[in-house]
Amino acid sequence: MQGLGVKAARIAIVVALFAIWEILSRTGIVNPRLLPSASDTLSMLGDLLQRASVRKDLVVTATEVLTAFALAVPFGVLIGFLIAENRYFADVAKPLLFFAFSIPKSIFLPMFILVFGVGFAQKVGFGFFSTIFIVIMSTTTAVESVKVEHLTIARSYGATQMQTAFRVYLPSMLPVLLEALRISMIFNLTGVILAEMYASRDGIGHQIATWGENFQMKQLLAGVVMIAVIAITFNELVRWVETRCSHWRT
Amino acid sequence: MTATTLRRLIVIGLIVLWEMLPRMGLIPELFLPSLSSTLIAGWSDAAEYGHALAVTLYEVAISMAFACGGGILLGAVVGSLPRPRILIMPMVSSLYAVPLVILYPVFTVWLGIGSESKIAFASIYGFLPTMLATAAGIQTIDPQLLLAARSMGATLSQRLVRVIIPAAIPTVLSGLRVGGALVIVGVVVSEMLISSAGIGYLISRYRTILDSPHVFAGVLLVLAMAIAFNAGIKWIERKAAIWQTGSRAGQRAADELTAGAIQPAT
Amino acid sequence: MQPLANITPLKPAGAIEVRNVGQIFKTTSQDVVALQDVSLDVKPGRFVVLVGPSGCGKSTLLMMMAGLRQQTSGTITISGAPILEPDPNRVGVVFQEASLFPWLTAEENVEFPLALRRVSKDERRAKAQDALKLVGLEGFGKRHPHELSGGMKQRVSIARGLVQDPPVLLMDEPFAALDEQTRMTMGDELLRIWAATGKTVVFVTHSLTEAVYLADEVIVMSPRPGRIVDHLQVSLPRPRTYEMLSGDAFGRMRDRIWQHIRKSA
Repeated sequence: MQGLGVKAARIAIVVALFAIWEILSRTGIVNPRLLPSASDTLSMLGDLLQRASVRKDLVVTATEVLTAFALAVPFGVLIGFLIAENRYFADVAKPLLFFAFSIPKSIFLPMFILVFGVGFAQKVGFGFFSTIFIVIMSTTTAVESVKVEHLTIARSYGATQMQTAFRVYLPSMLPVLLEALRISMIFNLTGVILAEMYASRDGIGHQIATWGENFQMKQLLAGVVMIAVIAITFNELVRWVETRCSHWRT
Repeated sequence: MTATTLRRLIVIGLIVLWEMLPRMGLIPELFLPSLSSTLIAGWSDAAEYGHALAVTLYEVAISMAFACGGGILLGAVVGSLPRPRILIMPMVSSLYAVPLVILYPVFTVWLGIGSESKIAFASIYGFLPTMLATAAGIQTIDPQLLLAARSMGATLSQRLVRVIIPAAIPTVLSGLRVGGALVIVGVVVSEMLISSAGIGYLISRYRTILDSPHVFAGVLLVLAMAIAFNAGIKWIERKAAIWQTGSRAGQRAADELTAGAIQPAT
Repeated sequence: MQPLANITPLKPAGAIEVRNVGQIFKTTSQDVVALQDVSLDVKPGRFVVLVGPSGCGKSTLLMMMAGLRQQTSGTITISGAPILEPDPNRVGVVFQEASLFPWLTAEENVEFPLALRRVSKDERRAKAQDALKLVGLEGFGKRHPHELSGGMKQRVSIARGLVQDPPVLLMDEPFAALDEQTRMTMGDELLRIWAATGKTVVFVTHSLTEAVYLADEVIVMSPRPGRIVDHLQVSLPRPRTYEMLSGDAFGRMRDRIWQHIRKSA
């Protein structure tokens, strides 16, 4: 009951925000040219989703995001495993990685353009670069989250390496890995969209930047809502799976 | 060889390679200008970079005040009141998943391409992590400390000033570190996208004319800024190291921050 | 000043009177009776230990004596006046480990309750020094809690509880986080401090040995609902010694408590 009440309250907050947006624009408190009403924006969103060009942009962005992800995850997981499993390697690499992790990645975007030019490779490259460090760090954390006692118990009962991997490592790491997946995707999506906005000929980020430059507020806001909904949906989906297997955590 | 020595060697090796590879023509200067030509480019136009740095620093300072001030204030309120916390915190962390950079074009339409749009964007960019960290820090204060203070007859305001605030300091500092770094990134990225001044603008302008050494000089300058900020906060954290042992829960929240669990994309 | 404390009390300072106290926790599904009709008299200067299995309400009772929680029914008076809110002039409280403020030095931790009352810096310092000396931590005042061992931290906590010189000291499993050896030493230290100050002490613990070793009286409680099932007078002479632990009298008392606890478990 309480959970339902909280959900209802959250929905009410979102609805209220949209209502305020609608009223501000309709009553002219805010210039409707600068802030088109929520209803106009949403109908524009429906309209945009019908357009072949916008769909193509979405496909382009999705391809870039998934390619960067598919490259960064195996590569990052491999390095992460090596670091977590090898003490010496960890001592050498960890401070460097922490440093690389803490410095802003976005400012390196121009380099990717200088090297790859403007196009698919540049955006995927930058997406990869934005994601790889968090994947490495998360994998290390995931491996380190495996309890030594569990491994000892598995060994004492004569578990084979395969059995240890599938019955101890995987279930212990799963929650952390899901969290890593969620956060890496956030990094990845931000990286690709920024790359598209900065210099690109296609992709939804490029489209949003163009609408902004042309003062097409309705399209711009519709685009913002669209990306936000996609990102939040993905995020909530992973979080939902996370809570479903959260009993592993303890 | 100890790990530290090897790590130092790697760093030195990378710097040497950075100088040698472009010089020997193994990497085109366009892709990676050598360290020396980057430094020379920056040095020869020091006045231009200095002016741009002043613009950027001005924007960073104001955004920092908004992002950190607002984030700490709101985080403290939300973190200490259970009802809003349960209601709002999950919403705020969902909002976290949104690549906020798409908001920048909106701000340029509303506020123009001057400093205002950068400040608005960077403030929002740095606001969320600061708020989340502060709320987490407040909420994870060891309840035993509050109970002990109450047993000694501490009033509500005494508990706030003498227990809650000092106990929340480590998490607030980690929030500041992440939030502040994002403010710097937010300002520079927005300058890179659309603007007419600042280091980000210089980077983008030199990029369009394919002047790699000047691009790199700008990138190095931003890096130095981010690293200096980070080191500054770390120094304060060390000064307040006794706090770190404060609430175990607060420490955990700080660890999560550094581990990236609540660090957004940069 | 506080008029209540200045009226000539009906009971001498340090007496604790618990009358028909009950506590009911309301949860969404049902009401849980945490304490039912608990009555208890503690004479000034006595060392009383509350012992019982988890959930018997011994800590709840202690928190109510400290004024940190209100009972659902019944009354608690200390030094003759009802306790409705924390009153550090009448009651000092010592918690389990971690209740020292980590950002303050040992000295500042001990001064904390005085600082809340805006006592002058000099007076604070002097009182804190006395309290630290009493618990055997002279010269450690400038250290932060993380620079102290577990036993030393508890000594600081005790000093903090005593710094305002309240007639009653309430202790909630103060040594639970310590290792066995330190625990024994701290027990002896506490008895020494108690003998030197003449405070009324109410001490909550899980440990039967600790209970019998320290107490003048042991109150045994049982859960669901929390109530008092036995009240033992410990007749062992003082000072207590390590040899007594293996004696017959000690063993009989520990067995008697154990029988109660086993029944309620």
